[in-house]
Amino acid sequence: MMIVRLALLPILSIAGICLAAYSVHAGNLPIVPAMGIVTPAASPFKTRVSASGIIEAKSRNIALGVGRPGLVTALPHDIGSTAASGDILIQIDDRDTKARLFARRAELLGTQQELARLKSLPRPEEVAPKAAALEVRKAQLADAQNLLELANKVADPRALSREDLTRRQSAVREAEANVSEAQSQLQLIKAGAWQPDLDIASAKIAVAQAAVSSAEAEQEQTQVRAPFAGEVLQVNVRVGEYAAAGQAAQAAIVLGDVTTLHVRADIDEMDTWRFRPEAVARAFLRGNPSISAKITFVAIEPLMVPKRSLTGSSREQVDTRVLQVLYALDPKDLPVKPGQLVDVSIEATAAPEAQSQPIQSQGVPK
Amino acid sequence: MNRIAIKMLVGDVAKYFGILLGIGFAALLITQQSSIFTGLMARSFAFISDTSLPDLWVTDPEVKYIDELEPMQSTALDRVRGVPGVAWAVPMYKALLRGRLPNGMFRSVIVVGLDDATLIGGPPKIIEGSLAELRRADGVILDIVSARTRLASYSALDEHGNPAPGATLLPLRVGDTLQINDRRAVVVGLCEVSRTFQSQPMIYTTFSRALTYAPPERKQLSLILAKAAPGIDPETLGLRITATTQLRARTSWQFSWDTVLYYTKNTGIVINFGIAVALGFLVGVAIAGQTFYNFTLDNLRYFGALKAMGASNWLLLRMVLLQSLTAGTIGYGLGVGAAALFGIEVKGSELAFRMTWHIPAISAGAVAIICALSAIVSMIKVIRLEPAVVFRG
Repeated sequence: MMIVRLALLPILSIAGICLAAYSVHAGNLPIVPAMGIVTPAASPFKTRVSASGIIEAKSRNIALGVGRPGLVTALPHDIGSTAASGDILIQIDDRDTKARLFARRAELLGTQQELARLKSLPRPEEVAPKAAALEVRKAQLADAQNLLELANKVADPRALSREDLTRRQSAVREAEANVSEAQSQLQLIKAGAWQPDLDIASAKIAVAQAAVSSAEAEQEQTQVRAPFAGEVLQVNVRVGEYAAAGQAAQAAIVLGDVTTLHVRADIDEMDTWRFRPEAVARAFLRGNPSISAKITFVAIEPLMVPKRSLTGSSREQVDTRVLQVLYALDPKDLPVKPGQLVDVSIEATAAPEAQSQPIQSQGVPK
Repeated sequence: MNRIAIKMLVGDVAKYFGILLGIGFAALLITQQSSIFTGLMARSFAFISDTSLPDLWVTDPEVKYIDELEPMQSTALDRVRGVPGVAWAVPMYKALLRGRLPNGMFRSVIVVGLDDATLIGGPPKIIEGSLAELRRADGVILDIVSARTRLASYSALDEHGNPAPGATLLPLRVGDTLQINDRRAVVVGLCEVSRTFQSQPMIYTTFSRALTYAPPERKQLSLILAKAAPGIDPETLGLRITATTQLRARTSWQFSWDTVLYYTKNTGIVINFGIAVALGFLVGVAIAGQTFYNFTLDNLRYFGALKAMGASNWLLLRMVLLQSLTAGTIGYGLGVGAAALFGIEVKGSELAFRMTWHIPAISAGAVAIICALSAIVSMIKVIRLEPAVVFRG
């Protein structure tokens, strides 16, 4: 019993203290920090402006529109392929426009030939009969004149009746008029087309030509061409689908010049005063911030725009404005694609220290 | 004489046990109650403790504590990143949303959205799967306790919707699907988190996915977690962030305290439980004091005899102090040992128990003060004692 009193209880007590010490130790081990799967980008600049950037093509990502709605019949360029300036990217069904173009061209040809016909006048075959007719008239005149001469040569006026003489005189005048008429006829034929007729024919050609141009334009509108050399970044139509004209939520084809990429950095309106265009800037890859590249200033968008969150939600409401600054990035420096987000860090002038008092924790208002 | 003092102490088994029991019980009561109180309070900021990688928590200036967050504009993140001395800053989404279980029942769940790129701020311990699995489509990581309890469903129900006889509780497993605000979520992992105050199920996912679960709101950025650059004092950096961005930047420690203070000020939990703890403390003090005082009173005649034999007051005082020290130490050891055993026993259960080094120290101090006080009080009796009194009885 003495052992219990003298030894066991103190031993138990020491054990208890040890247990408490263990409990204190084990129960208050610092929680091992849960590391992220990558370490976030640390800015190389002591003072800086941070911004979120989105990669875009140098030309911006151009959402090409369809000028003339219709069925898509051919897509000569695949996604990712490079198109030269003027290459056809989308071919819209053009059977009707083609037919109209043929008709207009035929009409033009008709008017052109009409003009040529007018210009080729007089037709020699038409001249000859008229010349012959003139000869006939001339012969008839000579004949009438002979008859009148014979009558005039008669010395005795009683040998001929007055009536006969008058008839012969009339016959000469008639023959003269006939010659004159035949001569005019010949001249008319020989003169060829009348100038106003030629003018009208020319005008008709102009009208027909305009109609052809219009049909050609219509025909051209069935082809969506690359306005500049670039890469096909997105194709949202397939052969056989109907491509609508006008502004769509989704562009038929997105084209971009990716020889140089641009980073569009959004700088919060609160930080714009610290931003300097000539400052050094770097873009960091999200997901692996050890990959970064120097970017060079290109331009500032003169109009500040509301910040676009990138949640993709259509019901977004924001009231922060951001200054958009464009930086150029060599695609060889950073493995990025247009549309990708990057973190941008721009060196800034040292911020003047704390203009305002730190906010104290305020109690419940009394 | 010391031997006589110890003999006096241990001589009477019943009394010896009684005094040790009294002091031990007092130590147990003080330690255990305080630990439970500390544990309960620590639960209020368990989420902050769990997320221990960042140094600073940046919130809207009006945010008072971790459970009620006013979201900020998304550009606030870039502004914090632009503050000199910030090594990095990542966004976090945290809100209470409604989750629908595979069996159609719904539960409020805390959805935590981690930065998509880095997945910083994840749970402290992953039991199944891995954090990187969150990259999978619709992936979420559940806390394992909720998966086994609150989010578990019965294998069969009777017509009233109650568990059918013999039905087993089926925990949510990796691969199961649930809905959060009508959006699909696939369990890709299970994690262990510290229990929080309200013990709502925790669901970790990526920030952008959390936003798809979240109801439409103008601002969606609940928290910014920031890390100070090497050599930068987080507290100073917090002040700098607050000054330049007008946002509220608190260190993990400050934010934890903010949370405790908020609960102290605005809820009855602290005061109610505090009274219980204080009472426990007082009861412990009373028992220990009373026991030891009684013990000295009982031994008064022996002291009288010693005094009559010529022992000086100083010697008697030393004897009483030795007795009190011995009984106090042994009793204290037994008490805190029992409390620690209790703590180890309830570890991981619903009961909050957290023994920080302050608690055994405080209870040691308390026991020491009680023993010393009761020894002194009883000493007054010994000093005033007429040696003759022994012989009268």
